[in-house]
Amino acid sequence: MNTKLGKLAFLGNRVNRQHVQLAIVILSLAMLILGIGAPSDGGGATRIKF
Amino acid sequence: MILLVALFLGLLAGWCLARWHGRPYRVPEPKHLWLVPAAFAPQLAAAYWPAARALVPPMVAATLVPVSLLGLLAFVWLNRQIPGMPVVMVGLVLNLMVIVANGGWMPISPETASQLPGGSPPEAAVTGTRVDEKSILLRAEDTRLEILADRFLLADVAGYRAALSLGDLFVAAGAFWLLASPPRAPNPQRSENAEI
Repeated sequence: MNTKLGKLAFLGNRVNRQHVQLAIVILSLAMLILGIGAPSDGGGATRIKF
Repeated sequence: MILLVALFLGLLAGWCLARWHGRPYRVPEPKHLWLVPAAFAPQLAAAYWPAARALVPPMVAATLVPVSLLGLLAFVWLNRQIPGMPVVMVGLVLNLMVIVANGGWMPISPETASQLPGGSPPEAAVTGTRVDEKSILLRAEDTRLEILADRFLLADVAGYRAALSLGDLFVAAGAFWLLASPPRAPNPQRSENAEI
């Protein structure tokens, strides 16, 4: 029982770590792309103003 | 937003390809990831965060954007072995060149800006006005490296329209490639590769 619980805890820990790592990488790449790109856009709630 | 769409489409394409080949989807593992938020922070203050943007003097803000791009260039260079990253680097260098040549902001002509949602007629444009986060209105004849400015208009999609620079086109292609292609080889020292 203890072994099973231990395995489950390990698996849960691993999945969470993987997902957190994935989210951090994707968030960083999104930040990178936003930082590098300089498009001018508008639509929906945003409007160009000049 | 248009560049984030390219990134999302890359993620979707990469995930679908991985499923097609019956293997888990893996994202690239960039080195020195901390450099991204560190380099992006000055730009956040100068361009993206309205509260901070109001506090930063225009001269300082015009310096912060190129400085931020140099930091991001360092990150991209350190990760140039990742598929797609060299394409992103080309886009970054092109945007950096035109931004530095035009006083720290991406130029857009009144004629192009007037075709974006909310844009005024070109004759109402005041040169030097900031539009959007990182762009500035400049007449084509006053723009240095005009070929690298925001000049490629996308079609109107449900009321959304964007003007891109040549550098942005490379960045969009690179962003897609980054997440659509699988990393070259799994790193044996990092068994906890991010997979979904």
